[in-house]
Amino acid sequence: MISRRSLLGAAAAAATIPAISPARADGGQVVVSTWGGDYADLLAVNVEKPILDPKGIEIIHDINSSDARKTKLIAEKMSRRGSMDVVHLSDTDMYQMAKLGVFEDVPAASVPNLAEVLQPLRMPYAIPHIFSAQLLVYNPDKVDQPKSFTDFLDPKYKGRVGIPDLNYSVVTMGMALAAGGSMSNWEPAKKILMDLKKNEPRLYPSHEDLVQGLKSGEIWLAPEWLAREFMWKKSGVNLARVVPTEGAIPVIFQASVPKNAQNKANAWAYLDAMLNAKAQLGFADRMGYGPTVTDATLPLSLEQGIGFTPAEEAKFKTPDYEYQAAQLPAILDFWNKDFKG
Amino acid sequence: MRGGPRVAALALPATVLVCVVMVAPLLLLFRYSLNRYSPTELMVAAFTGANYLAAVTDPYYRSVLASTLWVAGLSTLLTLLLGFPPAYALARMQGRWKSWTTLLVVFPLMVGNVVRAAGWMMLLGNSGVVNTALQATGLFAGSIQLMYTPFAVVLGIVTVVLPYMILTLASVIEGIPRNVEEAAANLGASPARVFRRVVLPLALPGVVAGCALVFILCMNAYSTPVLLGGPRFKMMAPAVYDQFVRTTNWPFGAALAFILLAVTLILTLAGSALLQRRIRA
Repeated sequence: MISRRSLLGAAAAAATIPAISPARADGGQVVVSTWGGDYADLLAVNVEKPILDPKGIEIIHDINSSDARKTKLIAEKMSRRGSMDVVHLSDTDMYQMAKLGVFEDVPAASVPNLAEVLQPLRMPYAIPHIFSAQLLVYNPDKVDQPKSFTDFLDPKYKGRVGIPDLNYSVVTMGMALAAGGSMSNWEPAKKILMDLKKNEPRLYPSHEDLVQGLKSGEIWLAPEWLAREFMWKKSGVNLARVVPTEGAIPVIFQASVPKNAQNKANAWAYLDAMLNAKAQLGFADRMGYGPTVTDATLPLSLEQGIGFTPAEEAKFKTPDYEYQAAQLPAILDFWNKDFKG
Repeated sequence: MRGGPRVAALALPATVLVCVVMVAPLLLLFRYSLNRYSPTELMVAAFTGANYLAAVTDPYYRSVLASTLWVAGLSTLLTLLLGFPPAYALARMQGRWKSWTTLLVVFPLMVGNVVRAAGWMMLLGNSGVVNTALQATGLFAGSIQLMYTPFAVVLGIVTVVLPYMILTLASVIEGIPRNVEEAAANLGASPARVFRRVVLPLALPGVVAGCALVFILCMNAYSTPVLLGGPRFKMMAPAVYDQFVRTTNWPFGAALAFILLAVTLILTLAGSALLQRRIRA
């Protein structure tokens, strides 16, 4: 295991000191390690100002990337005094960190809104904040509605399938399901991915690059997050989407409290505020991610844009996190060496 | 030398600083490279050379190292060829034009690599300026794949490192007296012969320094190959990053980093020694 001493250097390199205001608020502080940009702005507008400010809690944003946050969690693991009270990560990253035993379990008594959380999204060590799912996204002028991931292999789409390189794990899961595998067996994905390679898919380093490909007609169809499709469509890109017969694979952005957090009571209050129905609706409209609580009702137009029907939700394929954590290095190796190579 | 220890003491703060901020992290990283990786525990303390062995025996990482080497070698050569004429002109320039031109050479360094790569993306993309212009000429109906190619990477890297080469060469060429060239010309040597027999041999120390500096920068390029090379083109620095970040495999990432460091160091020293021998000969 990683010892405190062995990680001292990494801690020094990775730790960034959040800006601390000299005036302490009456309700104390909470240090939130999160993403910048829209996400941090929406947290301020929907969660912090309306819910936590009136309680006198001073919010300190520790803005960084997921990788920096993970490194800090690992580096501070053995420390009694952690630098973060609330940590935001995707479900995959959160599970990997939870396996290292760095998070407290979420106490229902301190987070009353936990009772409203959608059942399939519940985890003992984290609250689900927002979620989306991988679907098939396509240009309706060029492509008849696809049904399955196997449509990517159709010779008529040779060179017209776009793959977001960053999503290698979730694309592998979709292909595994299409080839008779499961969320706990990705092995069949290897053969079907090699078959897909023969159809010359275009790989894009980021989602932003992929949408440029869709916009210019370079590619016609791709596996993508519903939230992305919603935002791109809103900005005028000619797109349609469909839940594949294999089922949609959700991605959940979660929040947890490290065991060595210094302001735990405020951290739980923060997590509770993140689950507030009104706060969740703010995120849905601006980012296209769905609410994770039952009491947040989306307006009809938004529901059509980012919602799932009960039948689609029933077919959600939630990752087998333990299997995923064990397989990810090997599948990335396969992805880099064989699929991309 | 009575002043020796005192002079040595002047170097002490800088030496301590370098040891703390560079040598210590390197030692720590080297220690990590001997650890073992587990997908669930991440890093398990061990003393094994398995990461190094895996990296050098794996054909994938050998090909990544090979592409890093040829991109760095070609970029260094192109930078030298493109950098020598402006460096010569800059060195021979007089008056206020010289300071303005120097500023112009330095100017690209004031813009970050990522921003410059973004500029190339606008130019080289399938709907970018170059392809749009080609389509407007009517010569091409479709688009030429310029982005996500080794060509884009070499082009991007050369423009990043060119100022370093020009400034290094210019500072050495400035030290070559003009009258040496004039004497050669006076004795009947053509301009090409003056360059080959007088300027180039005397500028060789600058060529050595410039090439070493540029080669090291090229070997360690990160943002340009990621942004312009696309997902299929891999160089060593992005491969190291992938290991640290995408799989949290710090031991293997550290081993790759040390292999990159060793190869760069050996080739830079060997190249410099070879050129130095030329100078002495």
